[in-house]
Amino acid sequence: MHQLTSFATDYTRYVLKGGTKFYAWMGSLAVLIVGMLYVFYLQNTDGLIVTGMTSQIHDGLYFANLVFLVGVAAGAVTIVFPAYVYHHEGMHKVTVLGEMLAITAVIMVMMFVFAHMGRPDRLWHMIPIIGIYNFPHSMLAWDVLVLNGYLILNAICGFYYLWIKYTGGKINNKWFMPLVFLSIVWAFSIHTVTAFLISTMPSRPMWFHSMMPIRFIVTAFAAGPALIILAFMIIRKNTKFWIDDSVINLLSTIVTYCLGIAIFLTMSEVVVELYARTEHANGLYYLMFGLHGLTKLVPWFWASVVLMVGSFLLLIFPKFRHDYKMLPILCATTFAGIWIEKGMGLIVPGFIPSPIGEVTEYYPSFVEVLLTLGIWAFGFFILTILLKGAIGILLGDIKYRGAKAVATR
Amino acid sequence: MIPDEKAPTELVKTPASADPAKAVLKTTRRDFLKSGGMLSLSSLVGTGALMAQTGDAKAAVEWAEHFQKNYRLMTKEEKDEARARLERRYSAEYGKQVTVDTTDAQPGVLMGYALNIRKCIGCRRCVHACVAENNQSRGKGRPGEKIEWIQVLRMERGKFEQEKMDHGYPEGLGIQVGGNAYTPAGQVLEGQYHYNPEKVPEADATYMPIACMQCEKPPCVKVCPVRTTYREPDGPVVIDYNWCIGCRMCMGACPYWARRLNVTTPVLPKEEMNPVTHYLGNRPRMRGVVEKCHWCLQRSRHGRYPACVEVCPVGARKFGNLLDPESEVSKILERKNVFRLKAELNTFPKFFYFYD
Amino acid sequence: MKKIAIYATVLALSGGALYSVIAAENAAEPAAAAEAPKEPIVCFESRKGASEITQQEIKPGWPNVKCSPTTGAALWYGDPFEGTVPMGKMPGLEKLPEGHALVKPRSGKLNILPMCGTACHNGVGPQFNPPKLPKGKKPTPIPTMEGLVPDVKDLQHGRGRIWCLDCHHTTKRDKLVDHFGDPISFDQPQLLCGKCHGDKLRDWRDGIHGKRIGEFASNGKKRWFTCTECHNPHNVQDGERNRGFIQLQPEPSPQLPKGMANADHEKVHPIPNH
Repeated sequence: MHQLTSFATDYTRYVLKGGTKFYAWMGSLAVLIVGMLYVFYLQNTDGLIVTGMTSQIHDGLYFANLVFLVGVAAGAVTIVFPAYVYHHEGMHKVTVLGEMLAITAVIMVMMFVFAHMGRPDRLWHMIPIIGIYNFPHSMLAWDVLVLNGYLILNAICGFYYLWIKYTGGKINNKWFMPLVFLSIVWAFSIHTVTAFLISTMPSRPMWFHSMMPIRFIVTAFAAGPALIILAFMIIRKNTKFWIDDSVINLLSTIVTYCLGIAIFLTMSEVVVELYARTEHANGLYYLMFGLHGLTKLVPWFWASVVLMVGSFLLLIFPKFRHDYKMLPILCATTFAGIWIEKGMGLIVPGFIPSPIGEVTEYYPSFVEVLLTLGIWAFGFFILTILLKGAIGILLGDIKYRGAKAVATR
Repeated sequence: MIPDEKAPTELVKTPASADPAKAVLKTTRRDFLKSGGMLSLSSLVGTGALMAQTGDAKAAVEWAEHFQKNYRLMTKEEKDEARARLERRYSAEYGKQVTVDTTDAQPGVLMGYALNIRKCIGCRRCVHACVAENNQSRGKGRPGEKIEWIQVLRMERGKFEQEKMDHGYPEGLGIQVGGNAYTPAGQVLEGQYHYNPEKVPEADATYMPIACMQCEKPPCVKVCPVRTTYREPDGPVVIDYNWCIGCRMCMGACPYWARRLNVTTPVLPKEEMNPVTHYLGNRPRMRGVVEKCHWCLQRSRHGRYPACVEVCPVGARKFGNLLDPESEVSKILERKNVFRLKAELNTFPKFFYFYD
Repeated sequence: MKKIAIYATVLALSGGALYSVIAAENAAEPAAAAEAPKEPIVCFESRKGASEITQQEIKPGWPNVKCSPTTGAALWYGDPFEGTVPMGKMPGLEKLPEGHALVKPRSGKLNILPMCGTACHNGVGPQFNPPKLPKGKKPTPIPTMEGLVPDVKDLQHGRGRIWCLDCHHTTKRDKLVDHFGDPISFDQPQLLCGKCHGDKLRDWRDGIHGKRIGEFASNGKKRWFTCTECHNPHNVQDGERNRGFIQLQPEPSPQLPKGMANADHEKVHPIPNH
């Protein structure tokens, strides 16, 4: 018990300490978070009318980010998998950072769920026993199950690992390893189920195809590691914690292949839909060229094409991939490209035209943008804390009295 | 607009049925009980007491509403309590005696609807009758404050033309793989919803009203994470507005775009509010929940035609009991050629389109 | 000169009849009128120019009808049975319980009807010679009737294959006529129309054609809209669209959703250059 309280106090104390740069970073995030709280209040007193969403296009920026971030959460498995299945030495050292990222992403997803709901005050209606949980019929019920499960799995695996490092004990592989492997499988499930969430609606032909889950997973395994690489680069630069080149190289290889597959799948979809050009292709047509002269999303789509294809063409050359000045830029463009394609580029055209042929357009309101930025800020806020604490423990800066520093092996 | 001492008693005698004609014709007490529109005494007392202290009452009632169960799981007593609570709140809010009916599905009734698509002239009277009956938000200010459950689609009659005979697909490549001598024709679900000519029907157009199809296998019910929307035994798919979390999965799943979201607190002027309501039907909704057509449950549970049927000037709208072979919908299914919209989706609507 | 005199008399008489109808309506209205001296709101039910209904409150907060402020059409019925009378004998509807089949009398809307069988066609015209009643069924021009009912000058119904006395009773001019030459009330035009349009009559009787309001059960109490409440019997296929129903002004279009400035895109083909 004493160990636990001292873990908490040591952890908090370490996390709260930092230089000017750290406080400036956290401070600016806090400003955005306060802004988010204000617009969240607005949205929940006046209603969703303050957003750009309508009865026609009722999922917008929030849902797009939700879908994207589930991918980021699942993307953490690109660290856990090589570490535990292929016993990649460098990866093994940083697994816990991937788990922290997953925790953050899932928390952000849940915040976007709150932002998306018309009545967040009634979310308790979904809690079994006191509410009604429409399981197994509702895909959303599945999604809630897998997301919460993933959060719990990662929290247990991550913090148990940190706890052992802190106390200097030995990991009990008897239950730890099965949990780790479960979390690997579970990572696939969260994104598969999120894909099913929208691909099981024949009313929305743009989403209604079985390619959706695999497309979700490959884009997740491109965008997730791209974000992780960026985070690792920042960690390498700003902390004493050294992350092996082998880790970054493996991750960038994963990004490259998955991005390639993602582009291939998008291309397949375009060919299949536009060759026959049925009415069911109207959503995709709207995205690519516009419909009825309405073209709001067209520049976004082509921007994402340029970003994704451009990044891929450069990434396939090891010369660029291993150039650590170039790599962060390529990771950022990959990330941005996928964010557009899988976020707004996937969600919004699903509603255009409406199932009865009404064509309307959507653009996010200020409230939506600020709320989204605020949730991202909150995500970075907790990611910073989690990573900082984890690195402190891995470095041995935080350790239980008398315990040996084991972090760096 | 507080009625005098005698007025509320009079009103209570009026069945919560949508058939006030009975009231006009001086309904007997027995008739009224038979019609099922019973009103608890508590609501009457409560209304009187609460009209004076609106603010507190509203807050207390809303607080209690937060903790009520899903309608389907409520016991008889809980339903009565919830109803009394709502009646009190609505009566205070709208300044008139509001009834919230909780009549269950009547045995032997399965509601069905048929629409003669050849007759429809696109006048949108059904749309506005629906709004007058069902207490939808009707603000004129911000977009999203006006909700209509019925959409009327205007489609071009279309034609094939000599001049366009040599146009073809794909244009510009020099190889003609298809013809393009047409303009859109037929039921293509592509057209105008915002048409506004001086007079309808226009010579070059056909019209197709679309609303909830009350599917036998409703996709919206399947996706609801909290089972707040479900199919009632007599057919209509309903929503417990107090249980809805506003996740909008149902709106995404509906192939007929039948559901609307209350993006803000509904704008419903006191004088326009319809005081005869049903718990699962037209009672005033709140911000952030989804709503849709329920075939005027507050009327149809008491045998009355839905509002849209009654105002259609051309009699294109038909409503009846599918289990009664003598009903108008049964006769239509027996005699006319009918189709279901998007039949390929296996939603099995109980709303049929037919031709003469 | 004589002709003018006839016209003048007819006009005066019809004006008087019209006035008396309005006066009667005003008298029928209860205390509500005294309370609110506002102009009564009258809305038309099916087609313009046929049945109408005057808005009034039948209990607090519950009007008998709600009218469209845009078009003046009836938009909602608080009382579906206002002003109705039993339909009378109708073959095929005998199974319906007594008083469950109601119609709104058409007579009230037909301004000159009270005079038809009394003032003019009673054989004792006051100021002028009584019009001669046609002996046979061959069409002959009747200037007085053409003056009264402009529709009949160029009767569209039947495209010249029928004329007035195929539907109107020869001697009892306030009645319609059946195949046996027996009179039919103006409130039961279905009995007349069904003479030729048997399939429509059958559909109407089964509730498939036409309109009924009230209780939806097959044996429920309903107000049946009769043929002439929706169709103009003298010109059924209203010219413009060659359909059975006259054109009318539509109710307002839906609100534009957020993000849309106008609905012009609806008029553009989805794909350019097509």
